[in-house]
Amino acid sequence: MIKLLNIELFKFLRLSSLRFSLLVLLFFPPLWAYAPGIFEKYNVYLVSAYQVAALSLSSSMVFLLPLLVAITSAELLGVEMQYHTLPTILLRPVTRSQWLLAKLVIIVLYPFVFLVLLFLVSLLVGGPLGYDSFVGGTGVGEAGLLGQGTMTPGSAITELLRAYLLAGYSLIPIGLLSLLFTIVFRNVAAGALATLSTLIVMQLLDVFAWLKPFLLSQQLSIYINYAQMNSKQIIIAFAAIGLYSAIFAVFSTVTFERRDF
Amino acid sequence: MLTASIETNKVSKIYGKRAIIQDVTFRVNPGEVYALVGPNGAGKTSIIRLVTGLAFPTSGTVRLLGYDPHERPPIKHKLGAVVEAPAAFYPYMTGRGNLQLHAKLAGGVTQDRISEVLEMMGLTEAADRKVGVYSLGMRQRLGVASALLTKPEVLILDEPASGMDPLSLHLVHSVLQQSARDGTAVLLSTHHLDEVVAYCSRVAILEEGRIIDEVNLLDRRDRYRLKVSDAIKTQQILKSQPYIRHVSARSSDEVVFMLGQQDGLGQIAGIVSQAGIRIYEMGKDSFNLRSYYRERVEESRQERQEELEEVEA
Repeated sequence: MIKLLNIELFKFLRLSSLRFSLLVLLFFPPLWAYAPGIFEKYNVYLVSAYQVAALSLSSSMVFLLPLLVAITSAELLGVEMQYHTLPTILLRPVTRSQWLLAKLVIIVLYPFVFLVLLFLVSLLVGGPLGYDSFVGGTGVGEAGLLGQGTMTPGSAITELLRAYLLAGYSLIPIGLLSLLFTIVFRNVAAGALATLSTLIVMQLLDVFAWLKPFLLSQQLSIYINYAQMNSKQIIIAFAAIGLYSAIFAVFSTVTFERRDF
Repeated sequence: MLTASIETNKVSKIYGKRAIIQDVTFRVNPGEVYALVGPNGAGKTSIIRLVTGLAFPTSGTVRLLGYDPHERPPIKHKLGAVVEAPAAFYPYMTGRGNLQLHAKLAGGVTQDRISEVLEMMGLTEAADRKVGVYSLGMRQRLGVASALLTKPEVLILDEPASGMDPLSLHLVHSVLQQSARDGTAVLLSTHHLDEVVAYCSRVAILEEGRIIDEVNLLDRRDRYRLKVSDAIKTQQILKSQPYIRHVSARSSDEVVFMLGQQDGLGQIAGIVSQAGIRIYEMGKDSFNLRSYYRERVEESRQERQEELEEVEA
C-alpha cells in the first residue's frame, strides 16, 4: 500500500490543476490582505496577520476551494483516462480497490495539506500587520472580525487552526464526490462540473428548513458557524460530513470495481 | 489434460441490446502463438480486454492459467500485456521511468531486467528521454518491453505492430517467437496477416464479435501440392503410404497432402511416376491467409445477409 501511495503521490504532484491551485495559493492571500476595497466589504481594517489568514479561508471557502478540490480530485483519476494509462496499471497484480484506495487517501489528505499551506502563506503575507495581540477578532470566532476586546496570539491561532481543520474536513466529501462522478463519466470536466452542480442544487434546497442541516453545501460553512453551534448541531454536521464521505467512497469503489476498461 | 494458459468458454459481452462478443471459445496452450484477426470493430480488442480482466463478460468464463483474473488478481504476476495501440505511458516520465513504475507495481523486477528489456527492444539510447517525445513505433516497442518485464507465462498484445517500421516490426515478431519458444503462451490481435502466418500456431478469424473460423497454421505449413496428369489416381496411391497423414484432390490435376514423417517426401515422386502418372510440378502448398481471411469474412457476411433476408421475408 505504501508503494502505491508513493506512486500516486508522485503522479499527484504532477497534476496541472494542483500546480494551478498552488499558484492561486501564492497569489490569493497577498491580493486579499492588501486589496483596496477590503474596508468597504467588511467595514473593518485588518490589523493582524491572523485576520489575513482568517479572511483567506473564509473568502476562498465560498467557491474557490471547493472548485479546486473538485477539479484536482477529478484530475487525479481523469489524467489516467487522458493518457489511457488506467488499463495498463490495472494489468499489474494490484487489485482495483487497492489502487483506488491509494487515490482516496490522497483525496482525503489533499484539502488538509492545501489548507496548511494556505494558512502558512497567509500568516507570512500578513507579517507586516504583526503577530502580536490585537483589538478585534479573527473573523472565524464568535465575535467575527470586530471581536470582543483584545485577542492574544494563542487564542487567535487556536481559533484559526480549528477553522482550518474544520474547513479541511468539510472539503473531503467534495473531493470524493468528484472522484465518483469522474468514475461514472470517465471525464475530468464532467466529474468536476457534476460536483459543482450538485453543490449548487443543494444550496438551492436550503429553502427547506428541515433539510438544511443535512445538506452537503451547508456543511461547508461549519468552520465559521462552529462557535455558534450547539453540541447537537455539531454532532449532526460531523456525522453528515462523515456519512457523505463514506457513501461517496463506497460508491466510488463499487462503481470502479465493476467498470469495464 | 494440460492446463491452458488462456481459455475462454462461450464468452459473450453485451452492451445494451448490442452483442459485442458472442459465444467466443478458444484456448491457448504454453508455447503457442494464437492470433485474432478480423476487420475493424470485429471484437479483437474487446476479447483482449475480457481475457486480461479489464472488462467483465456478460456470460461465459475466462481463465488465465486456470484462474479467473477477477477472482484471483495475483495471477497477473504471470501476465504481460499491451492493451492500447499505441501503448499508453506517462508522457512526462522517461521510458526507463515508466518501466520502473511498472516494475514497482509488479514487484520482483530488478534494474538489470529493466535494462535488459529496453535493450531487447532497441530502446537503450532512448531510455532516458521522456515518452512524450517518442514516436508511435517507439511507444509500441516500450509497450512490448513493459509486457516482458516480469518474464510472463502469458503474453497478450493488442495490435503490437501498429505504427511500426519494417525493422521494428521484425524485431517485435522475433521477440514474440522467442517468447513462444521459451514456453510463453502468446495471444495477439493483428492486421499483419503475412507476418503472423510465418510463426503463429493458430489464427481465429473474427467477424461481428464471433469466431467464424479457426485456422491451424501448423498443419497448413506442412502441406505440399502435386500438379499431376491424374489427381484421383495419385490420391489413391498416396493414401496407402504410411508416411502420408492426409491427402485430398483439389482439382482434376492437383493433389494436396500432409506428411506424417518428413523422410517420406523423397519417395513420393518415384511412387507416383511408377504408376504411370506424369508429375508437372511439386512443392510446398503455401497457404495464403490473406485470401483465405477475405473469403471467410465475405462468406460470413453473405450468410448473415441471407439470414436477415429470410427473417424479413
